Amino acid sequence: MIRVLMDPLVIAAISTAFAIIITIVDSIVNNYGDVEIDINNGKKVLKVKGGSPLLQTLASQGIFVASACGGRGTCGACKVKVLSDVGPYLPTEMPHMSSEDISKNVRLACQVKVKSGIKIELPEELFNIKKYKGVVESLKNVTYDIKELRIKLIEPNEISFKAGQYVQIVIPPYGDIKEHTQRAYSISSVPSDKNHVELLIRLVPNGIVTTYVHNYMKEGDAAELVGPFGEFYMRDTNADMVMVAGGSGMAPIKSIIFDMYERNITNRRVWFFFGARSLRDLYYVELFRDLEKKWPNFHFVPALSDPKPEDNWSGEVGLITNVLDKYLDSMIPKDNVKEGYLCGSPGMISGCIQVFNKYNIKDVYFDKF
Amino acid sequence: MKLTPEYASAQESMKPGKITAEGFLGDDDRNIVDIITADEEEFAHLNLDFSEVAKLLRQLLREGAKGLGNVVTFEKWEITVDEARGNIPCPFKDGMFSKRVSTIKNLNNSKQIMISDLSVHLLEKHHFLQGKGSIFRLEPSIIKAVLYE
Repeated sequence: MIRVLMDPLVIAAISTAFAIIITIVDSIVNNYGDVEIDINNGKKVLKVKGGSPLLQTLASQGIFVASACGGRGTCGACKVKVLSDVGPYLPTEMPHMSSEDISKNVRLACQVKVKSGIKIELPEELFNIKKYKGVVESLKNVTYDIKELRIKLIEPNEISFKAGQYVQIVIPPYGDIKEHTQRAYSISSVPSDKNHVELLIRLVPNGIVTTYVHNYMKEGDAAELVGPFGEFYMRDTNADMVMVAGGSGMAPIKSIIFDMYERNITNRRVWFFFGARSLRDLYYVELFRDLEKKWPNFHFVPALSDPKPEDNWSGEVGLITNVLDKYLDSMIPKDNVKEGYLCGSPGMISGCIQVFNKYNIKDVYFDKF
Repeated sequence: MKLTPEYASAQESMKPGKITAEGFLGDDDRNIVDIITADEEEFAHLNLDFSEVAKLLRQLLREGAKGLGNVVTFEKWEITVDEARGNIPCPFKDGMFSKRVSTIKNLNNSKQIMISDLSVHLLEKHHFLQGKGSIFRLEPSIIKAVLYE
């Protein structure tokens, strides 16, 4: 009887002893102590605790490098020029690196561990990126699979961004998800609405963040954002703007268009093509129709590729690339230089770029995620 | 086959919340080596070849992608390819794949499968068709019905 009781106790004691030894060894072997991160040749020097990935180490100091996947090495957004030797490229970095990146020693901040002093270069604008705490003010369905999420900012309570930029939303653990997760979404509200951030989020099957927003998040919940990021915004030229979006790609285009209207930049001619499958995929139509009435140089062209008989659709029909081609060929005046602005699936973006090439439109802007 | 450290690590990444919300294993309580072994036997029994199946699936996805999210009819199949932005890594850490979710329906028998670019890679390189109950599980008999009937 005593033997039956003793054996598990002995095993438990040995296991505990091993665990303690491992913890002590780990704290000695992996204790890199305090190290320095030198940013932009001494312009900013951070003293940090070594051992963590560069992305998280910088974030802990209030410097947020863009990362659409939250540091999992899948998005390739957190590229940083590293001037020190931090070891060879990891297999997880290579799919994201061009030969030019490698020649400049560009690395993924989420994959590089800060084990000793390190020198890096960062764009100055990254110093303005902040973490925001807020509350979900409203969460509405705009289609059967896209939600409009409006967050009221609490701390800090104001954000400054360029229309077209994006933020990273951080969601808490839920269900089987044990860690905080973040993903990038374009802001659909206008910069003048400094106390809010509005996002359009389409449900992706099996998506961690989109599933949370669609099935778990509710009005009144706490929300966390990091941003703003991105190079997708209106270029300050006199060119006509040809904008194309599909699905939740509406978000940054909406922000840009309404920002232009608010700031009275209405001398530029703007065509906005929005592609959807059938009527149930269209949204904000009235909003843009109303704007057309107030802004003569603005033209909204929604197109359905597969309208249902019950849709009674009398607008443009066909793939958005074909409709764009038709308008550029015969309906949009050719008397001025044009810029392209795209937001949607990679397939839609590459299809539209082909059409723009056909009409010699070379200045084309889009966010790569 | 043994659950090597490589397989154990991949299996860990397949759990819910690691790479995708629901993971790759569904409610299957077998380890991934047992899942792979059973599906390899089933493929052999059905006279299916992993490389040939992957090749045909890729061809159908290329045709479907031309629809920019709309239904494309190609030969005996109806294909829809829906793209989301971003990439997803293979749990075996040997590649990164676009977040594309596609459905392929055989018009002769109305049988259909839902696949991602990652599922085609998992099928071809790792013979892993996902656990039973996973929304992207590819049942060998359904693959045969959709592709070859």
